Amino acid sequence: MKRTGTFSFLRTYSVLVYFFLYFPLLVVFLYSLNASRSTVRFEGLTLAWYSRLFHNPALLEALFNSLKVSAVAVSFAVVVGTTGALFLNRVEFKGKALFRSLSMLPIILPGIIVGLSLLVFFINLRLQLSLWTVMLGHMTFTTPVVMFQVLARLQRLSRNLENAAMDLGAKPHQAFLYVTLPMIKRAIVGGALLAFTMSFDEIIITFFLIGTTNTLPVYLYGMLRFGLSPEVYAISTIVLGFSLLLILFMARYTGTGEEIYGKR
Amino acid sequence: MEETPAIKLSGITKWYGSVQAVCSVNLDIRQGEFFSLLGPSGCGKTTTLRVIAGLESPTAGRVYLEGEDVTDVPPYRRNVNTVFQDYALFPHMTVEENIYFPLRMRKISRVEARPMIQEALALVNMSGFEKRYPHQLSGGQRQRIALARALVNRPKALLLDEPLGALDFKLRVAMQKVLKDIQRNVRITFVYVTHDQTEAITMSDRICVMKDGLIHQVGTSEEIYNSPSSIFVAGFIGDMNFMEGVVTERHGDEVVVDVNGFIIRSGRPMGNFVVGEKVMVCVRPEKICAQDVCNLEDMQRFDNRFQAVITRIVFRGNDYEITVGLGEASMRLIESASDFKGENEGDSLYVGFLKEDVLLYPLQAEEEKTHEQLD
Amino acid sequence: MNSSIENTCPGPKKSWNRALLQGLPIFMWMLLLILVPLAIMFVTSFFVKEGVQVVHRLTLRNYLEFFTNPIYLPIFFRTIFLALSVSLTALLLAYPLAFFISRKVTRFRSQLYMMVIVPLWISYLVRIVAWRTILGRVGVLNSLLLALGLIREPLPFLIYSPFAVYLTLIHIALPFVFISVFSSLEKIPSNLLDATSDLGANSFQTFRHVILPLSMPGVVSGFTLAFVIALGDYIIPQQLGGLNGLMFGNLIVSQFGYAFNWPLGAALGFIMFAVAVAILFFSQKLGSSEGFLE
Ligand SMILES: Nc1ncnc2c1ncn2[C@@H]1O[C@H](COP(=O)(O)OP(=O)(O)OP(=O)(O)O)[C@@H](O)[C@H]1O
Ligand SMILES: [Mg+2]
Repeated sequence: MKRTGTFSFLRTYSVLVYFFLYFPLLVVFLYSLNASRSTVRFEGLTLAWYSRLFHNPALLEALFNSLKVSAVAVSFAVVVGTTGALFLNRVEFKGKALFRSLSMLPIILPGIIVGLSLLVFFINLRLQLSLWTVMLGHMTFTTPVVMFQVLARLQRLSRNLENAAMDLGAKPHQAFLYVTLPMIKRAIVGGALLAFTMSFDEIIITFFLIGTTNTLPVYLYGMLRFGLSPEVYAISTIVLGFSLLLILFMARYTGTGEEIYGKR
Repeated sequence: MEETPAIKLSGITKWYGSVQAVCSVNLDIRQGEFFSLLGPSGCGKTTTLRVIAGLESPTAGRVYLEGEDVTDVPPYRRNVNTVFQDYALFPHMTVEENIYFPLRMRKISRVEARPMIQEALALVNMSGFEKRYPHQLSGGQRQRIALARALVNRPKALLLDEPLGALDFKLRVAMQKVLKDIQRNVRITFVYVTHDQTEAITMSDRICVMKDGLIHQVGTSEEIYNSPSSIFVAGFIGDMNFMEGVVTERHGDEVVVDVNGFIIRSGRPMGNFVVGEKVMVCVRPEKICAQDVCNLEDMQRFDNRFQAVITRIVFRGNDYEITVGLGEASMRLIESASDFKGENEGDSLYVGFLKEDVLLYPLQAEEEKTHEQLD
Repeated sequence: MNSSIENTCPGPKKSWNRALLQGLPIFMWMLLLILVPLAIMFVTSFFVKEGVQVVHRLTLRNYLEFFTNPIYLPIFFRTIFLALSVSLTALLLAYPLAFFISRKVTRFRSQLYMMVIVPLWISYLVRIVAWRTILGRVGVLNSLLLALGLIREPLPFLIYSPFAVYLTLIHIALPFVFISVFSSLEKIPSNLLDATSDLGANSFQTFRHVILPLSMPGVVSGFTLAFVIALGDYIIPQQLGGLNGLMFGNLIVSQFGYAFNWPLGAALGFIMFAVAVAILFFSQKLGSSEGFLE
């Protein structure tokens, strides 16, 4: 039948697309286990390259810097993004749609423009490039990530809930703490995790603002200039695995708790 | 000296930006009464309720609870509670935690609270549901939990915003009784918002009819049903025949109107009419009697009697709705199934009604007329 | 009686909303990290570098440079062309996949969906590493082809070529296109399709006359998004593009490297910004792209 013909064609096509998406990632993983120093031949499995990483102080410092940058950028995003979402959900004002569109810019504009504009800004301010400027750069995109996740959640909630709390005697801060916050908690955490993965992996903006220090992606980028090596694959795999874990955790955490509060 | 009203609204006006929601509302709601706010969608019922609860501050006017001006008092310090239209049960809390919430805000310990929660649950007949989450309850059950939560603090007044709106017909009727019983038991002032006129008429001590942010009439069910103060109220409450006519004579309280050549006498003009003025003639279908039902002597006492042609007959279960033509206009009347003599469309019928049952309203702006017909 | 029902109340009142205070952080964020930097970039693009000094005098020299210097325009158009090719190919890959998952699959739908979007936010640099490994002179693909005897020499054009950039960018852009298309396919009510087949349309006609037109918004927004992603990238060309694969983004970056002519860099950046915003605006992607974050 024609119908089944279409179906099996689509299925084969889809399998090929999945292969295209995942084969490269698999390659990186496999090469990270290659015992040979040559990146061309495969000579058996080893975890040596991973253990070697832990004795590389420059790398560890870069990792530590990355964690610092992401932690600060995400904390900022949680505070500013959440208050922003509450504000946008509650208050009507002229130009709100424009404001929402503008907030999306750091995510959908090419990173080069965000990085460039900040760099020109900082140069004009005579600001020394450092991890701090990188953090500022990351705040541009972590903030809307958290904000729109929380906003999406808020818009699915009845606005009466907070009203009901106040009606029943809760002061505004109590209404927020006991009613609103528990309900948007998952969205905040989910947004924070997503923002963290993005920040941890970010290089396009970072590259402009980093100065002389390193974050993990910048360090990896520097290594790439000397060609591919087993260490490159090992670092790549770690970054990949870590991001994957965060994303999967986020998907599970935010995906399940929609209406099913009881099943906690 | 009258007792202080439980709730007093004086000149309440509310604008949302450039949208007017309510306009100069004055209301006195008495202690312990079942008071309904009735009106079509968007007429400002919810807004009025929210102003009373303190969830919205009025653009102008004052709110008094038991004589005390609370206009600037925040909602959490007002001793009135609300049952929201969508119940607004906290989804992340169990039934018990939901009901404990208002007590917890008053710093009552869990142990102390337990009997109060039990009592509130018993009141709404929901004992045994403590550990459920709202999403594990049916609509009617959620409704009752919302009620228990609002009542557990024994507020001075309970505000209910279309609490039965989301329920199906049977459940709604059952819950009306539950609500009424609870109100009798706890003797708390209920302010009840609805757009269902039957619900308002059967449950309320007094009704306030609103439209477009304005109060049209306040009164008991009977007052509103029998002497509606405006065309809108006349049409909104109960069934009504509307016919346009022109005033031809008036003698004191009696006004004679010409409707397409049919002369109708009215003993209840709702306004001061002059001869030649256009008016709206209103008669309730159930006040009109057909000749086959009333005997001839009965017929004699009607001030208005006509020979009219039946244009439509609709069977409605335990009665028939019969439409007769009066020139361009038409008039509906109700005949119970047992009285129905098997007339056919096209037959002519002798109908009569008392002049006291004929209400007249001024027909001012053309636009208002079309407005009414849309409603 | 009737005359008492009249609209005689005070007019609306303007009141300063206290909730606005809550908006302060997000407004400051928007102002200081987005609007002001963009504005300063814009102003700077009218300055010029003379010697080692930046002259704070407004001139159109940088923009003239862009239009007259034979380096810029060809690379600019090459970049636009590459971005168009990337979006088109990504669309061709993503659409059937989205259609398959949305309309044909019944089991494991959400897992299959997740599998496409998981790579979305992660491992940008890792993918570069991967494609360098696959496409390299002695990489996976060449080795495979050699081993199979299909070629005798490693294919030279696989890496350090526009082709390598093209392939890697598709890999990056595909999930974005997929989400756009998928969500617009999901919005098509299934009773509409029932109705169509009820009216006698076969499955191809249904696709051609109902599904395809109704999924057009997703196609447009996916295409736009892929275009903007490809337009601005400079790391992938640097890593895989070689000399022929250099893109507009690399020109911008180079103004901050050895040349250190940042007014010119700002001007080139602003040109890219204008192109990106124009196309986002025309496809109205700006308003509807929040879905990605939900
Ligand atoms: N937050 C708001 N912002 C702007 N306009 C509003 C707001 N709330 C209500 N309105 C407007 O005020 C008017 C009265 O609204 P309200 O909610 O009080 O009506 P209602 O009588 O409760 O209607 P319903 O029966 O549909 O619930 C309507 O025209 C409505 O559109
Ligand atoms: Mg309402």
